[in-house]
Amino acid sequence: MDISQVLFYALSAMALGSAIMVVISRNPVHSVLWLIITFFAISGHYILLNAQFLGIVNLIVYAGAIMVLFLFVIMLMNLNAETEPQKNKWLKLAGVVAGGCLLLVLVAALKQAEVKGKVAELGTGDIGLIKNLGNALFTDFVVPFEISSILFLSAMVGAVVIGKK
Amino acid sequence: MNAIVISAVLGVVMMFCGVFTNSKTAVRTVAIIGLLGLVVSNVLDMGGYHFFEKVNVRGMLSFDIIGLLFNTIAFGSTWIYFLLSGRDMERVGVNLAEYFALIFFVLCGIAIVSSFNSLLMLFLGIEIISIPLYILTGSDKRNLKSNEAALKYFLMGSFSTGIMLMGITLIYGVKGSFDMEVIRQGTLNLTPMIAAGLLLLLFAMSFKVSAVPFHFWTPDAYDGAPTVFTSFMATIVKVAGFIAFIRLFEGCFGDVKGQWQLLAAIITAATLFIGNITAVFQQSVKRMLSYSSIAQAGFMLFALVAMNNMAKEGMIFYAAAYSLATIGIFAVLLKMKDYTFEGFNGLAKRQPVLAATNTVFLLSLAGIPATAGFWAKFYMLSAAVEDGNVLWLVIVGVLCAAISVYYYFRVIQAMYFKDGDPQEIETSRSFKGLLIVIAAVVILLGIFPHWLLNQLYSFFYL
Repeated sequence: MDISQVLFYALSAMALGSAIMVVISRNPVHSVLWLIITFFAISGHYILLNAQFLGIVNLIVYAGAIMVLFLFVIMLMNLNAETEPQKNKWLKLAGVVAGGCLLLVLVAALKQAEVKGKVAELGTGDIGLIKNLGNALFTDFVVPFEISSILFLSAMVGAVVIGKK
Repeated sequence: MNAIVISAVLGVVMMFCGVFTNSKTAVRTVAIIGLLGLVVSNVLDMGGYHFFEKVNVRGMLSFDIIGLLFNTIAFGSTWIYFLLSGRDMERVGVNLAEYFALIFFVLCGIAIVSSFNSLLMLFLGIEIISIPLYILTGSDKRNLKSNEAALKYFLMGSFSTGIMLMGITLIYGVKGSFDMEVIRQGTLNLTPMIAAGLLLLLFAMSFKVSAVPFHFWTPDAYDGAPTVFTSFMATIVKVAGFIAFIRLFEGCFGDVKGQWQLLAAIITAATLFIGNITAVFQQSVKRMLSYSSIAQAGFMLFALVAMNNMAKEGMIFYAAAYSLATIGIFAVLLKMKDYTFEGFNGLAKRQPVLAATNTVFLLSLAGIPATAGFWAKFYMLSAAVEDGNVLWLVIVGVLCAAISVYYYFRVIQAMYFKDGDPQEIETSRSFKGLLIVIAAVVILLGIFPHWLLNQLYSFFYL
């Protein structure tokens, strides 16, 4: 096992473990903190794949900006054990059955994942470098790139409409 | 491409309109003229005048006849909607220009989902449609019901978008491309990973078109939203969802139809059944219309199940028939103060024009012969018969159409055969005139059903 394999397994364990903790922690603030750890682990994966730009952006945007907003919202809502809604026992059971079915389908899907031959290039691939990313963004993907500006514009107009008195 | 660029530009124009003028009439006039320009530019696109030919879309978008035809119908219906209900938007809040801007952005999204050729564009189009709608749902900020509806719609909508992205990711993982042709090639049977992606896409799109069992948000969001925006959401936007749905499943999974057809047929049957049965028990006409929109979605799902030429043409026809009739009913509903069935009592005596045109629209939705709705349903059912595998679904469809007659006729009965204190309704002469024109179009389409399709087809192929 070389160093990148060790790192890969360590990061994967970290990502999965903290993702599970996001779901099962009772305190929502703890959930957000665990989610930040998940994002760090995923950024580590990006860097392993030689995609430094994505890794850094993931940290700055998700772990930095968005998670801070999440924390603000959760603290403003002041959630605690007393205000937690009581859920029906049958509803919980239905949730477990439905979630289990989805898990079954996804496990079946991923078990036979047709990724042979398209194995990620560790450390050597240069597809994630900022230069190649920029090239792809402004040549092959220029139409979605430009059109996403309409999406952001409409979201901004919406934010103003909702936020203004 | 004309429609996408020009509708986005018009959205920006409307925003500036709100900066430079406070006159509501001026804003409305700009919106109506701008939208007319959009319709014309789209018709020119169909006629071969592409304004933005130099733009290299790299296979992300492809503009075919069905998509452009649908754009024309969607923009045309929105134009009629602006003329009929533009005045009522002023009552929702002060940001009139922004509401128009958001509607233009939605139209841009509609133009994208009717021409996408890459799953990336599908995602962007669906989001450009959804995000302005969340805002419009919650635009009545003083009303708690509107706030609740917007929050519910936003949370459920974001969740379903997440499911859609997961599906796209799985498919990308197998095929290594977002391009629909690449995805279609070599997909001769469903491997587990593609099947999982297909299922997630099916669920997400069913959510967007409010098919059962993903319909729970619909009555609350439609009921809570300001009625003038419900009219837009329940008609043009919903039909655009279907165009995206059919385009996606034909483009990506058309060759493996046999493997998902039964699932789509079950969703269709459930949508028809639940939508119609629940609509029967509603006391408010607005809520009845939201359940009726679920029931009509069931009929539009026939196009997905059958997926042949008849189905696609029928879908275009259905889009026109359903949008026109529902926009008309909502325009009348907007003038009422009481949304219950009792509120319609005795309408025929005081407002004979409103009652008569409303009757035409309701008959069309119920699918009575000599209205456009009859042929719309006829095309859908005959597409399923032509397909041949799902004859049981046709029987379910006919039965549910019979159930729907009950609740549509309750409104007609209230208008004509019941006495009550009629409400004070202010209508202008042009409003009534426009309603008569729409009713005439609905009847004309019902008598000469091929007129719309033939007219437009001959128009392009000259």
